[in-house]
Amino acid sequence: MSQKFRALVCCRAGMGSSAMLKIKCDQVISEEGYPIETSQGNLDALMGFDGDLVITMSDLAEELIEDGNHKYVAGIRNIVDKKEIKEALEAFLASKSE
Amino acid sequence: MFLSDLLDEKCVQVGVEARDWRDAVRKSFSPLVESGAVSEAYVADAVAGVEKYGPYYVVCPHVALPHARPESGARRMAMGACILSLPVSFGARENDPVRYLFPLSATEADGHLEVLARLVDLLSEERFLSSMDGAQAPVEVVEMIRDMERSL
Repeated sequence: MSQKFRALVCCRAGMGSSAMLKIKCDQVISEEGYPIETSQGNLDALMGFDGDLVITMSDLAEELIEDGNHKYVAGIRNIVDKKEIKEALEAFLASKSE
Repeated sequence: MFLSDLLDEKCVQVGVEARDWRDAVRKSFSPLVESGAVSEAYVADAVAGVEKYGPYYVVCPHVALPHARPESGARRMAMGACILSLPVSFGARENDPVRYLFPLSATEADGHLEVLARLVDLLSEERFLSSMDGAQAPVEVVEMIRDMERSL
């Protein structure tokens, strides 16, 4: 079993946007066979998250980066755009293989 | 569960006029407040959240899924639909302007995930939003969604 990266898909409430984003990310991850497994949560879950990648809506992503979040943060603008999600996840995977 | 099973016709509004995004969010929720699905505080939290964090529930071009933290006043799972006569800006850049709102009341349970998956699939269909434009009455919105989600 090869190593899988752990991603937290989060939004402020942890209920709506992140659930939809996780559904679409999981579709892309499954189709592309990326070594990433996702879980979902709110900002509180983010505080205790010790995985590799945070995936969130792009506005919140900018806020997290400004706040000095040390994990890799991928911001998604259009949650039904598979191409955007694919590019964001590939950029993350590329950063890990450097 | 299908989205159209959850979507109560009474919570669907078409041709809604909104001054700005706050007005649009409040108006989208008003039938859910009336039906008791959410409290006024929940709606206020949905507005305050965007003021503080940016438009985190504008999920794709022209579409918002207003929701707040469950503990702020989500009483039971519910979803509405609100089509504005004129779109409003949320400050959501490429996703602006927003014309279609799907106000969501999500409680702690995971029961809404299946419905959200249906909505994701619908939003992934290019014809979905243009079909919404053709609806003249709430019942037509519900019927269109029912037909389309069963065809996917």
